[in-house]
Amino acid sequence: MRVATPTTIEDAANLLARSGSRAIAGGTLIQLGWARGESMPECLVDLSRLDLSGIDTASGTLRIGATARLAIIERDRRVADGWPLLAEAIRSVAAAPVRNLATIGGNIAGGVGCLWPALVALDASIDVITDGHFATLPILDWFTLPAGALLLAVLIGPVPADARVTVRKTGLRAAFTPSIIGVAAVAPIVSGVFNAPIIAAGGGITRPQRLRASERYLHGQASDAVDWSAFRAIAAHEIETQSDAFRSARYRKAVAANALAAGLGGTTSLPAGRPSRLRQPTQPGGTHQSIAVSRENLAGRWGVRPDIAAKVAGRLIYLTDRRSDDMLVGRILRAGIPHGLIRTIDTSAAEALPGVVAVVTAADIKGINAFGIVEPEQPALCFDRVRHAGDPVAAVAAGDAETAARALALICVDYETLPLVGSFEAAMAADAPALHPGGNLRLELNHRRGDIDAAFARAAHIVEDIYETPRQMHGFMETEGGAVIPEADGSLTVAVGGQHGSRDRLQLSRILGMPEEKIRVITSPTGGAFGGKDELTVQPAMALLALKTGRPIRLQLDRAESVVAGIRRNPMTIRMKTACDADGILIAQSVDVTSECGAYASLSPAVLETALEHVAGPYRIDNITSRGRLAYTNNGICGAFRGFGANQMVFAIESQMNRLAQLAGLDPVEIRRRNLRVPGDPGFFGHPVAPTERLSEMLDQAALNPLWQAPRGRDDRGRLIGTGMALHHQGTGLGSLPPDPGGGRLTFRADGRIEAAFGLDEMGQGVMPAIEAAVSAALGCARADIVAVVGDTALAPESGSTTAARGTYVIWRTAQEAGRPFAAALLTLAARTLRRPAEQLALAPGGIRDAGSNSGALLMTFAELAASLDENERPGETVAFHFPTADYKDGNARYVFCFGAAVVRVAVDPVTGMVAVLDLDQHIAAGPIVDPAAYLGQIEGGGGQGLGFTLTEDALMRNGAYVTGNLDTYMLPSIRDAPQRMRVTALEDLDDGDPHGPRGVGEIGIGAVTPAIAAAIADAIGHYPAVTPIRPEEILDALARSGVHEGSQ
Amino acid sequence: MTAEGEQSTVRFTVDGETVAVVGAPDRRLVDILREDCGQTGVKRGCDIGRCGACIVLVDGAAVNACLVMAFQAAGTAITTPAGLDRMLVAQVVREALIEEVSFQCGYCAPGFVMSLTALFLRDEAPTTDAILTALEGNICRCTGYHSILRGAESAARKFAAQRNGAAEGQTS
Repeated sequence: MRVATPTTIEDAANLLARSGSRAIAGGTLIQLGWARGESMPECLVDLSRLDLSGIDTASGTLRIGATARLAIIERDRRVADGWPLLAEAIRSVAAAPVRNLATIGGNIAGGVGCLWPALVALDASIDVITDGHFATLPILDWFTLPAGALLLAVLIGPVPADARVTVRKTGLRAAFTPSIIGVAAVAPIVSGVFNAPIIAAGGGITRPQRLRASERYLHGQASDAVDWSAFRAIAAHEIETQSDAFRSARYRKAVAANALAAGLGGTTSLPAGRPSRLRQPTQPGGTHQSIAVSRENLAGRWGVRPDIAAKVAGRLIYLTDRRSDDMLVGRILRAGIPHGLIRTIDTSAAEALPGVVAVVTAADIKGINAFGIVEPEQPALCFDRVRHAGDPVAAVAAGDAETAARALALICVDYETLPLVGSFEAAMAADAPALHPGGNLRLELNHRRGDIDAAFARAAHIVEDIYETPRQMHGFMETEGGAVIPEADGSLTVAVGGQHGSRDRLQLSRILGMPEEKIRVITSPTGGAFGGKDELTVQPAMALLALKTGRPIRLQLDRAESVVAGIRRNPMTIRMKTACDADGILIAQSVDVTSECGAYASLSPAVLETALEHVAGPYRIDNITSRGRLAYTNNGICGAFRGFGANQMVFAIESQMNRLAQLAGLDPVEIRRRNLRVPGDPGFFGHPVAPTERLSEMLDQAALNPLWQAPRGRDDRGRLIGTGMALHHQGTGLGSLPPDPGGGRLTFRADGRIEAAFGLDEMGQGVMPAIEAAVSAALGCARADIVAVVGDTALAPESGSTTAARGTYVIWRTAQEAGRPFAAALLTLAARTLRRPAEQLALAPGGIRDAGSNSGALLMTFAELAASLDENERPGETVAFHFPTADYKDGNARYVFCFGAAVVRVAVDPVTGMVAVLDLDQHIAAGPIVDPAAYLGQIEGGGGQGLGFTLTEDALMRNGAYVTGNLDTYMLPSIRDAPQRMRVTALEDLDDGDPHGPRGVGEIGIGAVTPAIAAAIADAIGHYPAVTPIRPEEILDALARSGVHEGSQ
Repeated sequence: MTAEGEQSTVRFTVDGETVAVVGAPDRRLVDILREDCGQTGVKRGCDIGRCGACIVLVDGAAVNACLVMAFQAAGTAITTPAGLDRMLVAQVVREALIEEVSFQCGYCAPGFVMSLTALFLRDEAPTTDAILTALEGNICRCTGYHSILRGAESAARKFAAQRNGAAEGQTS
């Protein structure tokens, strides 16, 4: 591709008239197209040097040059004052940094831009050069022009003073979203009557269009006497649009019609639903010791994590930032087809490409070509068969990224395609091809207790539904990657984001046929993981390339490849039938779960086990049957993700509880209280569980929450407000079956700082501040005296995996067990130098103090103490232990739990069916807070991921390929999707004699969010969503079914 | 009129220093900054302008470096996270974000700092809505955003305190 930069309009027009050329202004839309596979033009005609960016209003007409950047127009006072509709439309285009690049001409020229409805409604014209001639045309004529036309400017006349105007873009989330559909209208009013309105729709896949029938309907009608229902029907009928993987044409039409009716006539013209109005919980008596977790409230305990300054300054070197002079760039060839047999792999052309240093395939693997945390079944590089589109087949190392990319294209893999197994149902079909030797059913779990049939037969109330949960993507901001370095001594350093360095090392050792001692794995800092870097990702291919080339390899997946290759949350379909008696006492529960693990099991079997461990929630239910089945498919790979199966099940059981409460005439707290586990009750499998159950206290917190007193009904934007809650408990640690080692080491360094080393990983969650806080508290010194060393098998001992909310406990217990002898050793050494009895000394921030003095004065600093010691005198203390577990081996059972309740207030938009979370309050009981900022961050951050799971996120697959190929369509919540307010409370106390200390809070922040949002929606409109992400179309349908309008209740 | 072939030389400044980049005209600024200029504080997140991790200032405006092709950068002045070290507004923003522990993994942090710096350079007393608008293009997966909002609002208070301090200084 070449770039031409004309400086005159004539030159530009001539260049564009040639075939194979394409104009570019800001270039933002063009590049999205390229990323989606559109072909590049032969010649880009760069319009930026033409003098086309002016904004002029001199004649009363707004004239905006085609290359005016959207941000400039957005901030132009004249536009804001005279054409606020346009300014508002611009604010809905992409996001601020994109609007600093994007131009109004680019938005128009592509035909799909979000400004189209507004410009049509404003009756805009365009100045163009077409076929060598200048012309001023109505804007919709743009579509009639031959290719190569040059857009010069947009012209908009004055907007009548007395007019109703509206503009609205509906997307997939609250902001920075592709357009599902946009509408705009300018409806002048003359003597109280609509006169010649212009009404438009467009944006995204909806071709820009005038809605003539709707215009005709409004024209001549008194503005205060329009039948807006009739108007909506006409508008919806005439809009021409389509369906895609995200939203149906029917939805687009409904939303567009609603938006126009609401914008011109007000939201009271839309159905308001029939609120189900959960009963207000009765406030409990007694005192409550939960505290608000905030910097203000915990100022004395608030610590600033040691890596934050470098992160904020962009100075922190992530593993994907490592560079060295002789480093090569690695790339991995992915299957690209979901299922096939490999006939041949020919790498000769790639190897011959100048700049390519090595190509590796399965033939280069000296060890076992298989890995997997639970079971080694996933090939490091495929050799006989590919089972999903992201399966790695080969990898290349080259001097630069461009050469590596070209080399990938030169590798020829001959496949015999096999039939797609695209769903659980397809996997279970009798004629389905088996993806693995044991067949497609990877796991079936069954559990039965009591007499379920008799219990259902005597039930007073039964709720049954099918809950569906999404294939959620972890969406860590740092995609998989790092650097792998062959060292001079023959060892290999693997610095790639991960969650358990020693296990990564073990798996790599098996693949590479190299002893573990010769592999050093560095896993920190990692830019987010959430379970998605628990399994090996790119390490095997990188290690093979490093060993073959003898040179350092760097590799970072681009986002599109990360989407194809990475692990997702297991989507689940949960059929649940729950019964209670007339008093609301649960008597029967039947659960049937189907899920898929994708091409390889990874941790999916454990996820399903965890889901089924939570089928009763935190309740006593005597009669239960549960069944869970997990199947192999060709849909990517699923596995570990924060919540780990529990949150899917909690959505179902907690929704059932809220619905049964309504049937039984109970408030949502009361029905739970009547069914709650009682402290001392055994766990789900009848196994013992740790003390400090705080379910009742969490219910109290939920009942006391002030959101129940907040107004419901319509807000000032016409949205329907509701409040809901859910309760949640989640185990910590890996469970009773897998080995779950913990441990750590304290060392006194030569510089007088205390090194606390753990084989845990800092992925952002706050391992390092937790170490500083826990160790300094145990020793009595300052956080600044501690140096946290993590994520490096050469520098830190085994601490187990950084998963399952287990790190906090490992750190805390190490601090207790190693801290006592370590402190004693320091004091003994200080006593020798200070010539005083050790009993008279104590550790203090910065050094050693007189134990009998409160002055804070130091007798000696740690640095002085260290300087007084020979190297072999400096104390160190290493501990190792097993994470606390129940002695139960008939299933994988958790022993130590966290407890939480969420209370949520939502606003349901009757125009779009979309849901905004206004308040998300999370009440947590997880023992003492170790580091307040990390605690708050885990609960708020878990809440944010729960919100995405509930409302916006689903990695859609069609025919074994992701439809949501990047972050333009996979909708991680934006800052506009975040709740307006989030509050976190903590109940810190433990039962007397509870030896287990602080519980990790990495997972407790996600589970209750989904059912609480669902309950709040039901409170607002009377419909209980069971499919997540909650479908706006379903909400609109529910509102329409209710048929209830404002004033008709 | 200039017509450029497959390889071209593009000149612009990065944090005040002139750089000349040779290569395909459609190379992305994010790659140039990270690989040619060693500015790894500019993070790659999505490559299509949809996450904000690579935001830099181009002539003072926050833009996604992955959406800027080399030829588009010609003649511009680019500020990377390292370049913010010399900018007082950025120092206040960073200090506020640090105190509030606004980030966890921190991979998105340089982009957020860039967006907030651009905002405060333009508007020292932004409304909450203006802060949200400025940050719509930055995705954070760890925090749920509220810690970042607390940091941004704390920065706004710091700027207000500076103004008040200056005003008091003038009146006294």
